[in-house]
This record gives sequence, C-alpha cells and structure tokens, in this order.
Amino acid sequence: MTVVAGLGYALIALGPAFSLFAGVVARKPFLVLTLLTSTLFWLISLIILSGIWRVFLPIRSGAWWPYAILTLTSVAFQEGIRLVFWRLYKKMEEMLDSFADTISKPRLCLTDKMLISLAGGLGHGVAHAVFFCLSLLTPAFGRATFYVERCSRMPFFLVSAIISLGFLVIHTFSMIVAFNGYDERKRSDQVFAPIVHLIASVMTLINLAPDGCVIGTPLLCVMGAVTLQYCWRMSNAVEKSSNQCIMLEQLDSE
Amino acid sequence: MDPAVGSPDPAPAPGATSTAATVLDSLGAEVLAVMSPVSICMALVVLLISLLAPPSSSGAAAAAPPPVTAATLVYLESPTDTPGQKLVGALLDAAVFVALVAVVTFVLVALYYYRCTGFLKNYMRFSAFFVLFSMGGAIAAAVLRRLAAPLDAATALVLLFNASAVGVLSVFASAVPIIVRQGYMVALAVIVAGWLSRLPEWTTWIMLIALALYDLVAVLAPRGPLRMLVELASSRDDELPALVYESRPTVGPASGSSSYSSAMGSVEMQPVADPGRSGGNQYDRVEQEDDLSHAVVEMRDVGGNWSGIRESSSPGGSMFQLGNLDREVPMAVPGQSSNHGGNSQHAVIQIEQHEEGETAPLVSASSANNAVPNEEHRQSSSSDSPLEFEMFESTRGIKLGLGDFIFYSVLVGRAAMYDLMTVYACYLAIIAGLGCTLILLSICKHALPALPISIMLGVTFYFLTRLLMEPFVVGSSTNLVMF
Repeated sequence: MTVVAGLGYALIALGPAFSLFAGVVARKPFLVLTLLTSTLFWLISLIILSGIWRVFLPIRSGAWWPYAILTLTSVAFQEGIRLVFWRLYKKMEEMLDSFADTISKPRLCLTDKMLISLAGGLGHGVAHAVFFCLSLLTPAFGRATFYVERCSRMPFFLVSAIISLGFLVIHTFSMIVAFNGYDERKRSDQVFAPIVHLIASVMTLINLAPDGCVIGTPLLCVMGAVTLQYCWRMSNAVEKSSNQCIMLEQLDSE
Repeated sequence: MDPAVGSPDPAPAPGATSTAATVLDSLGAEVLAVMSPVSICMALVVLLISLLAPPSSSGAAAAAPPPVTAATLVYLESPTDTPGQKLVGALLDAAVFVALVAVVTFVLVALYYYRCTGFLKNYMRFSAFFVLFSMGGAIAAAVLRRLAAPLDAATALVLLFNASAVGVLSVFASAVPIIVRQGYMVALAVIVAGWLSRLPEWTTWIMLIALALYDLVAVLAPRGPLRMLVELASSRDDELPALVYESRPTVGPASGSSSYSSAMGSVEMQPVADPGRSGGNQYDRVEQEDDLSHAVVEMRDVGGNWSGIRESSSPGGSMFQLGNLDREVPMAVPGQSSNHGGNSQHAVIQIEQHEEGETAPLVSASSANNAVPNEEHRQSSSSDSPLEFEMFESTRGIKLGLGDFIFYSVLVGRAAMYDLMTVYACYLAIIAGLGCTLILLSICKHALPALPISIMLGVTFYFLTRLLMEPFVVGSSTNLVMF
C-alpha cells in the first residue's frame, strides 16, 4: 500500500470531522478555540489515564478482563472529564453573556450553545481519532499493510479507522446531547452520553475474540448511528420547544 | 460549503452575513489570526521533516552529518556517547548558542540605539535573502531529490532568485500586500526551523529550554535587550527593526473578509473624525483631544517617514494607512459596527479587565486610538503604547516574533522525528501555551515573551507522551480496544 491507502484511511477516520470543521467550526473563530481546548482536555485526560495504567502495562495477551477494567476506568474517567468541561463551559458562557451585554448584543442563543457543544464534542472525537488512529497510521503510508492476529480479515488500519469514525460520531454528538441535558436538567439526556460511551467501549472488547472485529466494528457503527439519530431527534424537539433564537436572528437581520 | 452548514445544524446561521447576529461570530478572531500561521508553519515543518527523513530506516542511516552551526560549535553529539557526556555537551552548546544570540541582540539594540536604521534594514534584507536563497535553496534541492523530480539548474536558479528577491522586497517594503509578507515570514520560519531541526537530539532539547529561559530574561528583565529594543522602538513611534509577524487582517481568511473590505472601502479618515463624534461616554475632552492629536501624529508619521522607516504601512500610502486603522476597529470588538471609534472600544476593554480575564484576550486588540488614553492610566511605565517584542498588540493586531515561530517549529519538528503522536501532543501544548500567553498579554498589557510557556508545555508533553502515553495507546489500540 502507498500514500493513497494511507490518505484513504485517514479520510475514513477524519473525513466527516474535516467537513464538519470546514463547514461549521472554521467559520467562527471562537468555535475553533473551543475545539482546540476540548482536544487539549482529552489529551490531558489520556495522559493522566496512561500515567495511572503505565504500571500495569503491557498486559499479557490472552486474558480479556484487564482490558475490561481498563475500558471501564477510562470511560468513567473521561465522563468525569466531560463534567469538568461542562463546568468550564458554563463559566465561559456566563462571561460571554455578560460580554454580550456590554456591547449590547443578544446573548448566546440556543444555536450558539449547540454550536459550542458541537465544537467541544468534535474536539473530543478528533482527539480520539488522532491519537488512536492517525498517529499509528504512519506505516500505512509505506509499502506494506498490517494485520492483527485476531482480526485476519481486515487490515488493522482499516479497522482502527472505522472504529475511530464510530467514536468520532459518538463523541461529537453525545456531547451535544449531554450539554443539552445538563442545561435542561433532563436525566435521560444526561445519562445518555456515558451509557453510549460505555456500550461502545464494551463493543470494542468483542475485537479481542478471534475474528471478533467482523462483528464488533459494524456494531460500533450502529452505535454511532444511534447516537446521531438520538441527537437529531433531541435537537429537533429542542428547536420546536424554543424558537426564540431564530426569531432573534431574523429580527436582527431585519 | 453552505449546504454543509445547514445539514448538521438545525438552524443555519444567517449571521454569517454582514450583520453579526451574536457575539460568537467574530470573537477570538485576533487569537486565531496568530494561531493559524503558527499552525501552518508547524505543519509545514512536520511535513518537510517527514518528507526528508531517510526512508525505511531509523537513526543509523541518518548518516548525513549534522551541519556545523553555531549551536554545535563546542560539542557534536555522536550516538556512542554516554548520556552524561551528551548532557554536558548539550549544555555547553546551548550556553554558547544563547550567548551568541544575546551578543547579537545587544549589538542590534546598540545599532538601533545609535540610529543605524539603514544598516539594520539592509542587514535584515541581506539575512532574509541569505536564508531564502541558500538555505531555502538547499532545502528545495533536497525536496526535489527526494521526490525524484528533475529540474534543470538554470530554471531552478531563476525561480529561486526571483522568489528570494520578492521575499527581500517584502520584508521591509510597504508596497507589498500583507498576505505576501506574511507568507514570506512563514516561509522564512519554515526554512530556518527545517535547518535547525537537523541538530542532534539532546542539543535541541537543552537549547530550546535555554532559549525559553533567555527569552524570559530578555523580555522581562529591566535591562533585557529585547525589552530595550521594544521600548526604543515605541518611544520613537517606529516599527521594530526586526523580523516580526503581524497578524493584520488580510483579505483572505475566513468569514469576516467581506466586512473588512466594505469597512475599508468606506471612510478613510474615520479614526480622526470619530472620537469627536462618538466619544464622550467615559472620557472627558482632554483624552479626546489626545486621541485627535495622536491620530494626527500618526498621519504625519505616515506622510513623513513612510518611504524609509514605516516598514509595514499598507499598500496605497497614507490614506490607506488610516483606512487600515479603521479596518481594525470592527474586528477588534466583535460585531461592533465601524462608526464606533476608539473611545468606546477602550471602554469595552476597561470593563473586560474587571472580569476573570478569560475572555479578555479575545477582545483586547487595542487600536492606536486607545494607546494614548492607556498611557494616562499607566503613568509608571516608560513605554507609551501597548507593546512588546515577542507579542504585541497594537494598531495591527498581535505581533509575534519570527523566532517564536522558528522555535515552536523546531520543537514540533523534533517531535516529528519520533512519532506522529508526540507531534500532536506537542502541537496542542504549544498552542495552549500560546493561548495562555495571549491571556497574560491581555492582562498585563506589555511585552511578553512568547517562548517560555509554550516551550515548557511542549517539552513536558513530549516526554509525557513518549514515556507514558505511547505504550498505553499503542498497547490498547493494537488490540483494537478503544474507548
């Protein structure tokens, strides 16, 4: 395989993220900053996690339960990070609102909040894809490809790219759901993100079984689709319930 | 691109048009105007290094001897040395390098002090030409060789010479579009960083840390050379005689371009006329007169020394200079329409300062108009405009020294020789450090070194990533277990 293959894998993993970035995030500088902050957050969480787990690595292959513990702790930790991120965002929102008052602009409306949460989620997803897929992709630009023993049907890079894509979708859109849930204190939306995250991570455990990736990877994609659909429904409902933002914008443009 | 906005987002943002609907639209553009060229520069260096890396082999085949530069005068690392030897040698190298840099900076400051501006400019031009022509040529040749793209010598020389000539012209000439100038600044940084990243590993790390410390001292110490340079330049109301990246709004980037051009097309004399019209919300007459006089000074300055000293007035002469000032206003305070003058903008900044300071850098592009009122608030400081060498908020947004570009890129390039994962981590760390510096900048309003926070964070993250994260991530993702 050559450069073409490497680029292809990279685009599978990050193509949707790139189009989201170019279409939505890059237009507003503040969203880009949010994305960078959220990426940094995720990186720091990963470093802390790996610092904790460094002692126990490498795990002797064969047993699956250490991986289960690893994913469970990681998911728990990252959901905690999400809460911290939410706190920070809340503070920043207050500041933005007061800033908007001082220059007599409308406060952040619902669309803005959703855009910010989208950028935050995209940051998490991009960080995941970058560190778990893109950074291991260097050999794919060379002449060979790589198969993992347990997954002999698909090249390793393809599997990790697809998994990264799934996680990217999950991270991005569950962040929107979670932020909205925190904002409206809706319990079901609040627990949606951790549950989806947990299920998705558990699904990657299927890959530990011989040829498990044939089942695990599509299931993960289904999980991503479920997240997307849930987010879609939720944002539709939210939009119907409060239409003020668009009206405000229309007033402004008139 | 418009349908792409509509699909993931239930309510498409009509605010992307001229009437900015929310605060979100233009907030942080200043910060991004600095971060994006830094990112581009780092990305290019990483690309260059991974392209030029010897294919299909690791350290052993990197037989090309590292160049003898100022940084390896004392000690040249060889792979067989013990860590102790390497450490001592690298420390010596770094000390010599930093001492050289310090001496050269002092000489430059002395030259500037005795008003040898002509010599300085020509020296800068010469060094830009040298970098572009010889070092850039060498790098271009290496890239061509690597890509196996044949190019005859005559064509290559002509192309190279033309490119370098334009680069030299763009360094200090005023008639060059700002985007060309910025492009050449990034190109210079990429070339020098690509060159410096050939240094041996230990030397690179120690040198980066030493330079960060030197930067800290040189900018913040009362007699630091860079600080003296900046204060001199601002006391003469002059541009810095150095290679500095200016994040003036170009017509190119992102969303706001239409508003810039429209604002630019409107009224050129806005900064002079405005304070009289819209002022008086917080400041009394005296300050307004101050404002006026400053604007007049600005104009006279443009008229008088425009040809020689003002390295960066925009194309078109004095009228455009003012138009440029005006252009700054709608960008600096997000969404503010262009008939608000400097005074109201200053008021915004004052209010912001009472707050946490978190959002402050995003709005703190002070225009020249409030530089004068600012001075009255800070009687103690000897400098008279919000200034610094490394980073600098002034009429034209934030300025960042070219050295910062170079050493950020050297750090990322060194990380690129290990793995892509360290590259991303270092990139994020450097950008975070830059963001922190910008926040600090908006709080303390004077010269700040841009290297220390970023370099320290970058080095820390590099080693954390390399030692802690990589085994973890590789271990779990080669088992296809992710979370």
